Amino acid sequence: MKLTDITLDRNTKPEDIKSRLMIITFIVFGIFTVLVSRLWFLQVMDGQMYTGLAEENYIRTIPIDAPRGLIYDRNGQVLVGNRPSICVSVPPQFAEKYPETLSKLSKILGMPTDEIKNKLSDKKIDPLRPRIIKRDLNQATLAYIEEHKMELPGVDIVTEPVRTYPYGTLGAHIFGYLGEISKEELSKLKNTGDYAMGDIIGKTGVERRYERVLRGEKGSQQLEVDALGRPVRVVKRQDPIPGSNIMLTIDLNVQKTTEQALGEAIQQAHNSGEPADGAAAVVLDPRNGEIIAMASYPTYNPALFVGGISKNDWDNLVNPSNHFPLNNRALMAYPPGSTFKPVTLMGALADGLTSTGEIFNSTGSWDGLGKKWIRYDWNRAGFGRISLAMAVADSCDTVFYELGLRFYKRTQEGLQHWARIFGFGSLTGVDLPMEAKGRVPDKKWKKDFNKGHPEFQKWYPGDTVSMAIGQGDLLATPLQMASFYATIANGGTFYRPHVGKAIISWNGKIKTEFKLKPEDKRTLPISKNIVAFAQSSLELVTTKGTAAGAFAGFPVKTAGKTGTSQVQGKQDYACYVGYAPADNPKYVAAVVIEQGGHGGSTAAPVARKIFATALGYQDKGARYVNDLSR
Amino acid sequence: MDLASINRKIDLTMVITVLLLCTYGVIAVFSATQSGMHGGNSYLLLKKQIIGFLIGIAALLFMSLFNYNKWKNYATTIYILNIILLAAVLIIGKIHHGAQSWFQSGAFQFEPAELAKLLLVISLASFLTNHKGQLDNIRELVSSLMQVGIPLLLVLLQPDLGTALCFLAILLGMMLVAGFPARHFAIIILAGIIIAFVAIQFHVLKSYQLDRLTVFVNPDNNVRGAGYNLLQSKIAVGSGQLFGKGLFSGTQTRLQFLPERHTDFIFAVIGEETGFFGTVLLLILFFVLVMRGLKTAISSKNLFGALLAAGIVSLWLFQIFVNAGMTIGIMPITGIPLPFISYGNSALIANLMSVGMLLNIYARRYV
Repeated sequence: MKLTDITLDRNTKPEDIKSRLMIITFIVFGIFTVLVSRLWFLQVMDGQMYTGLAEENYIRTIPIDAPRGLIYDRNGQVLVGNRPSICVSVPPQFAEKYPETLSKLSKILGMPTDEIKNKLSDKKIDPLRPRIIKRDLNQATLAYIEEHKMELPGVDIVTEPVRTYPYGTLGAHIFGYLGEISKEELSKLKNTGDYAMGDIIGKTGVERRYERVLRGEKGSQQLEVDALGRPVRVVKRQDPIPGSNIMLTIDLNVQKTTEQALGEAIQQAHNSGEPADGAAAVVLDPRNGEIIAMASYPTYNPALFVGGISKNDWDNLVNPSNHFPLNNRALMAYPPGSTFKPVTLMGALADGLTSTGEIFNSTGSWDGLGKKWIRYDWNRAGFGRISLAMAVADSCDTVFYELGLRFYKRTQEGLQHWARIFGFGSLTGVDLPMEAKGRVPDKKWKKDFNKGHPEFQKWYPGDTVSMAIGQGDLLATPLQMASFYATIANGGTFYRPHVGKAIISWNGKIKTEFKLKPEDKRTLPISKNIVAFAQSSLELVTTKGTAAGAFAGFPVKTAGKTGTSQVQGKQDYACYVGYAPADNPKYVAAVVIEQGGHGGSTAAPVARKIFATALGYQDKGARYVNDLSR
Repeated sequence: MDLASINRKIDLTMVITVLLLCTYGVIAVFSATQSGMHGGNSYLLLKKQIIGFLIGIAALLFMSLFNYNKWKNYATTIYILNIILLAAVLIIGKIHHGAQSWFQSGAFQFEPAELAKLLLVISLASFLTNHKGQLDNIRELVSSLMQVGIPLLLVLLQPDLGTALCFLAILLGMMLVAGFPARHFAIIILAGIIIAFVAIQFHVLKSYQLDRLTVFVNPDNNVRGAGYNLLQSKIAVGSGQLFGKGLFSGTQTRLQFLPERHTDFIFAVIGEETGFFGTVLLLILFFVLVMRGLKTAISSKNLFGALLAAGIVSLWLFQIFVNAGMTIGIMPITGIPLPFISYGNSALIANLMSVGMLLNIYARRYV
């Protein structure tokens, strides 16, 4: 393109160029006004909000678990403690950076690489939190890793507190075990404290019931992270507050004896050919409801749960052929058998259905329900003329059949009424989870229970008669039985049974005793005289009656009642509930041995051993007893 | 010569403003490149930017001494050179971030699109000057569109949507000053809408480009992709509050939440670290720069100078608005750098050359 003269002319500025440039000037003002006002809103008006968002971006808070509180027995012995566990930990983001570390680590620990990878990619744990790869390293491995640290970038040796059980399986059902929080538990516990996925919580027993006491408060570590989530530096650290310690009412010695005696009773029952595959015992202080010992057989080792239970171990624990060692049988419902008879006794006296002086005639069989429905005494020979008190002592069934029938005829559900007053069919309120209510059967229950089977819905007089001897559909937990006998022993007061004695602050400085609340202590509406009569009858059991053999030669007078309950499809369950000393009761013991034979021969000797230890007697124990009563 | 007579000759306000802007830019680039993603050498990009600045100053001096009227003589050559450069980069250019827009030879990098903007201003100014008085003719409209059309098509092939939009901004600004009647603008805007519709409908734009363009309307729609960048940018600017977090202390910048910190999103770095105070200061500098450019256009002795100045001002204004606007969520995300501030030697040198040209126009206003 050649320049011509015309173009030179054309290069003069048009006259309206100023106004055209003014348009651009207006645009300039407009644009800068928009930018500045937008910045005003963003940086000044909303600045706070965006500052918050920026912090959310780069501040990550990693929780630090608090050491869990210890569990003591009533004398300050550590029953559940903490021990340092030496672990290998690896932060997940390091693993991505140094894949060869994983293969080295897999060789050192003897673990497949995939298993390590699985642990690192566990989504339940905060992504920044280093993952524990292996717990409780042995000395050689520890030394090897320490020596080769330079070749293992990211690999860290950390010490974590884990539960330790100085007495092994002892008291396992009381303390319970720990485990990873489940989704349901998380949604329930979220409102009560600082819980998150992956947390370890008390799953059963005291660990669960006193979770909030034992747990403490998590600490935290604030990390600055970059856009890829890699930690850059620690901004702030807040140490956790350790959980409070808890002192139980349990007495280590009595607990030991109880578990040992149960084990021996099982052994003895096995020796005499009984299947004896489960047992439970509860020891109570009748003066205040404190649980001195509580045992359940078979038991398990809570240490298996440390660091997560292996699948193999878990499968064993839930395998039916192992009789469910995780169950706390002391809180499960059994037919109480003859140990229930004091309810019938006291109720009948209170309702005026009999009197302390009444003499009965026992022939070995009883036709109170008609000739077609003859019932037999456990003693087919009969006891002849027998007083009410001796009927208790000898566990004479015909007398109690008769009382049951009187209840049915004269007070309808009077027996149920008294059973409920003495705490049957409702929770004792013990501070342990998963307590069973037991069952007091009545018309309404039977109708509802057999819904759809009209032939079983009707309540017969025979149902009340069965219940009067502790059979039929009646169910009670060993704890309820112990609590009931404690009420007899202390003259008619119900104390809520409990295992929590005191909370001791983590540094041991402050001890706060649990106080009995007004609702934890109830005077039952039963006259003192009737209770006193029951006491003297129960004393006769151990002197002249069905437990006389088991307690022969025991240094102090005791009282109690044997029971041999029939369970459909199983061998008899041996029961004994008693207290000692008889004139100043300090301990109540309830013992049940599933398919263990007769109460007087299998269960009562367990109670004798418990009483001896609890009261501090050197006692050689019961000689061989053969009790045939029911 | 006293200061007043120097000021008559040289636009000191613009010189000082530009030096302040470059200083601001160098500091911002240094802060934005602290986070060790460049091989741990946090001074590398700073050094490069300073070298670019020094070369740019030399280019500025050359341009300010070179009689701008002579550029008109080389208009055709410049037009052809522009097309050759833009075509060559498509063949031998280096592909970076999915776009083929760089010449690279050793440590030397050159992005022709940045120079192309200035070259387009010159060739278009020449064309419009030559066709003065014929502009209400629709044929003139078409042929001036063609002037821009071929370079525009070439940058779109890279693809570099940002530069293409810059070309359109230059075209509109210069057409306005050249005296196109209002109905031509209406035609261009209508054409723009049709082209945009066609581009979207027939997938001429890649989907990520479309995402980036539309995400500012509703950033929550795409929180991980383009929306993520926009959100992080807004967080950076907003969290700067009134006085900022302090230089080198922006968490969004330092911890790399902010994308493209030293280039496209450098305004957000400034917003985070110097706050409202700093962003407004920067905008004031830009405002002065643009106003001085317009002053140069008005005081230009002839139409050619006025068009050159208007083209340069339109380009800067557009880039400032779109770049700052995108970091605060009022403009689409396009790869348009912030003049004098964003890292990039080609752009810095080209911008300083433009300043030199403006200074020359200013100096010659009475000659």
